[in-house]
Amino acid sequence: MARFGMVIDLQRCVGCGACAFACKAENNTRDRADGQSFNWADFVMRTEGTFPDVTHWVMPVLCNHCTDAPCVAACPMEPKVMYKTPEGVTMHDHERCIGCRMCQNACPYSHAELGEASLDGQEYSVISYNAVDRSTQPKWADTTVLIAGCTASGAEVAKAAGAVVPALNAFAAGDVPTVRAANKVEKCTFCYHRTSRGLQPACVEVCPSQARIFGDQDDPKSQIAVVLKERKSFRIKEEKGTKPNVHYVGKYAARG
Amino acid sequence: MRLTRREFIQGSAATAGLLLAGCATTPASTGRPAATPATSALAPRGARAAGPAVGEWVATTCQGCTQWCAIQILVQDGRAVRVRGNPLSKTNHGYVCPRGHMIPAQLYDPDRIKVPMKRTNPQKGRGVDPKFVPITWDEALDTVADRMIALRNAGEAHKLVYMRGRYSSTSTNLLYGTLPRLYGTTNYFSHSAICAEAEKMGPGLTQGFFGYRDYDLEKTNCLVVWGCDPLSSNREVPNTIRRFGEILARGTVIAVDPRLSNAASKAHEWLPVLPGTDGALAGAIAHVLLTEGLWSREFVGDFKDGRNLFVAGRSVDEAAFAEKETHGVVKWWNLELKDRTPAWAEKECGIPAAQILRAARAMGKAAPKTAVWMGPGVAMNPRGTYAAMAVHALNGLVGSIDVEGGVWQSSSVPLGAFPKSDAYVDDVAKGAGKFKKLDGRGEKDMPAMMNARPGSGVVTNNVANGMLKDPGAVKVFIASWANFNFSCAGADRWDKAMAKVPFFVHMVTNPSEMTQFADIVLPSTFNSAEGMSIVGNMGNGHGYASIQQPVVKRLWDVKQEETEVMWLLAEKLKNKGFPNLFDYYAKEFKDPETGRTPTTALEFSEIAAKISSATLWMPKEPLKGDAPIAGWAEFRKRGMFSGAKYSLKKGWGGKFATATKKFEFYSETAKKGLEEHAKKHNTTVDDVMAVTGYVARGEVAFVPHYEPPKRHGTFEQFPFTFIDHKSRLNREGRSANLTWYQEFKKVDPGDVSWGDVLKMNPADGRKLGLKTGDAVRITSPAGAIVTRLRLWEGVRPGTVAKCYGQGHWAYGRVAAKDYARAVPQGGNNNEILVDDYDRLSGSTARNGGFTGVRIEKA
Repeated sequence: MARFGMVIDLQRCVGCGACAFACKAENNTRDRADGQSFNWADFVMRTEGTFPDVTHWVMPVLCNHCTDAPCVAACPMEPKVMYKTPEGVTMHDHERCIGCRMCQNACPYSHAELGEASLDGQEYSVISYNAVDRSTQPKWADTTVLIAGCTASGAEVAKAAGAVVPALNAFAAGDVPTVRAANKVEKCTFCYHRTSRGLQPACVEVCPSQARIFGDQDDPKSQIAVVLKERKSFRIKEEKGTKPNVHYVGKYAARG
Repeated sequence: MRLTRREFIQGSAATAGLLLAGCATTPASTGRPAATPATSALAPRGARAAGPAVGEWVATTCQGCTQWCAIQILVQDGRAVRVRGNPLSKTNHGYVCPRGHMIPAQLYDPDRIKVPMKRTNPQKGRGVDPKFVPITWDEALDTVADRMIALRNAGEAHKLVYMRGRYSSTSTNLLYGTLPRLYGTTNYFSHSAICAEAEKMGPGLTQGFFGYRDYDLEKTNCLVVWGCDPLSSNREVPNTIRRFGEILARGTVIAVDPRLSNAASKAHEWLPVLPGTDGALAGAIAHVLLTEGLWSREFVGDFKDGRNLFVAGRSVDEAAFAEKETHGVVKWWNLELKDRTPAWAEKECGIPAAQILRAARAMGKAAPKTAVWMGPGVAMNPRGTYAAMAVHALNGLVGSIDVEGGVWQSSSVPLGAFPKSDAYVDDVAKGAGKFKKLDGRGEKDMPAMMNARPGSGVVTNNVANGMLKDPGAVKVFIASWANFNFSCAGADRWDKAMAKVPFFVHMVTNPSEMTQFADIVLPSTFNSAEGMSIVGNMGNGHGYASIQQPVVKRLWDVKQEETEVMWLLAEKLKNKGFPNLFDYYAKEFKDPETGRTPTTALEFSEIAAKISSATLWMPKEPLKGDAPIAGWAEFRKRGMFSGAKYSLKKGWGGKFATATKKFEFYSETAKKGLEEHAKKHNTTVDDVMAVTGYVARGEVAFVPHYEPPKRHGTFEQFPFTFIDHKSRLNREGRSANLTWYQEFKKVDPGDVSWGDVLKMNPADGRKLGLKTGDAVRITSPAGAIVTRLRLWEGVRPGTVAKCYGQGHWAYGRVAAKDYARAVPQGGNNNEILVDDYDRLSGSTARNGGFTGVRIEKA
């Protein structure tokens, strides 16, 4: 069985955002609401130093698919709703989720409630929660229009396009459905619907700088294993002992 | 469950500090052991089977910026879902930048106009509700045609104005290239001069190439990005993103930009030049390259006795130097460079002399694989032509022109031309030439000498001034994909000018700012997914043609402006007594395969695309590049054709398109153009320089040189120098209504998602008692806007920077804070930027610190 992992080369990364957009398109993640970003892929950013000795760095972030995942440990359900697959994916059995958010609180990377600090790259969230008793697609359920008779409502666009979300990526759902339900959390699955079929995750496939490498860390011939062996790498919050399967190599800013 | 959650928040409060310190690299092997491997005992279990979506990747073209990338859209059940670069592309390698990924969102924007609209409120102005109501295409085009016929019958055909925003490089000839010509008006204008036209003056007046350059990034060892941020905008963004990390790893990257751009963030050297002083920095770098003997002997030549006589402060005898591919290096030295020491430049441009030396030496060391990538920040300012020349001339000194790892001229592929329309130009149309164009080109104070031909360049933003000066000059105004009330500096002039236009027809996808002044609105197809056309461009050493074709079914009653609308409008005009346009389209356009003429708008659209591209799939001679392509069907499937790789040293050996056929450090080409312009106005070049606002007198006007920045507003009244820059998410002006744009606005360094910020150095913030998050009013001599402040170290004290893109008061419900009340989300830079020009090119100023501002708490 493969042991999935990802390496992100920060020297190659230019912080463009293409990975995050592709993730939203591939996984049909909704717009930000109620302190939740629904960005399974996101960025941490910092500007450091004093003019003119100043640098700005960007770090793409996503679920670390920790080997010792606190979110899995925290899940109160039996069998676990948040669980590890044999490939090492931290997977979510969406249907059985009770929306307790204990996984969100347990994750050392996620902020359960995002505020202003998430708008300029200070904070981010790995796990997002769909509020109870509310539409999870408010944009496409909306029936108001800008100019009566001349522009459409979100609901009208969705109906005309023929899907609950007009640009819906209708992948074959397993544990995680194409769009999520109220009172349930959601997170990155390492694009399980793709990677379990030998494809690359969307964020990897679209990266114009080819900064991301995804593969089997246990296969010594795989690119990820070679890079991890040859280059100095690090993981976020190593001290938490979560053993992330997302690694970073290189330095974003040459002057940093 | 919230109680439980709170307990957890308390328990994990210690983690709120977030990440480990910065980006410090920690080898995985030194990571501390897990403290509590509580979960390791939990057995993994297999997930339910899942699989990727089934769909078809259909080829088309992104027009989110000027690169016009060949792309593919993933279509599932007739819906556009995802986007990638066309895998056949040698320019984007099968990747798009973030802009491309927003195509489905733009396509499915609920605020798109879905049917033609007519205005029912005769009052016009910003904030005045046009009271649009839906009408049929028939009614809409009848109304437009009636107005056009009436104007023509009244002998005022020249009072029809057409202005072009985004267009297709082939289909534009059906509208921009045909309608004014056959109808009889000289008043047709492209948006080009608000884009980056002044940039072209750099390579134009030195090497005779008035175009956008290409760069051999795969082989470049020293990349100097100057006045642009090609990781986010300008040209060939996906290719630059792909190569940037590699150049960082093997060579040197130098970024010259007054604000900390993406390229500057990653570069080895950041030279935060004082806005508008690029010419001083370039002069000092040239000075170092010459005094330290770092110029290219192969390209420039050498002293006859081999001894370097370029010594600071000393003139050189022209006869002592033997030039090879260049002209006038010693004249340039004597006229401009000999005193441009790094120490002198430090005082002008704010870059320490030691850093200038370091940069110049790195450039010289890597030569000729040193590419100076000059962008609009250098050029789009009131004296930009000379800064563009000064920066581009560095490529001449290091010999990177047309060589491996260097700076190339553009490439192209042969596209089919449309049939001639001469036979359809009637006497009225022939008489149009006697009328002056509204943009003032060629007047004494507006040489607009694109291609070194005075009066040949468009002065887009001056059209509003022409309209305000003579309110009767325009009676019918047609515009497509333009939004000058938002995109032009001095935007309020457009509000005033458009309010006076008696009949305005807007062809557009969304109700933009300019649309608010329209009498008839014709909803456009979103051409990346719904149109049909052939688009040509180049990058990474390859010219290419790429198709735009209907990828999905149209949800609304929209039509493509340059093809379908023109056909239908021509039909109406014929019915009302002016048949020439329709007859030209209907009789002359023949399917290259069958010889059939079009009978419907959609057939016309397809035949036009076939004529444009038939040169590629049924060529007369075998083509180099991605040939052969078996036919139209195969071309549509592939979606693109790339030509052969760029051939080096195109202009070497006396083949540059300049007056001397050499690379001109002393521009005989500029001299010829300026003297021609002066002669036309019975004056001297010095007088032309004076009335156009340049400081050069005498022969300095013919060499790349430093012109101190022109600044509107005194430092006393307007103490801050304003820096405008572009967003890597701007699909031109059209993406601010997308939630994804707002959500990831933070990918523009220093910016904040779901907001619009003015970036100010924290030291200035302390002085003014302002803090991050404060609402501030930015006031310039042109106007005032209100936005939020962000204190940020990425800008120099005394300057403030703000990204262009937000500040919409129309366009849609995400872009505007309140569309119905015309309340903007943040502020539009163009409302404070002063209406001014680089008059040698006719370009609108937006960079170079030409606008002073003051900042107050709002």
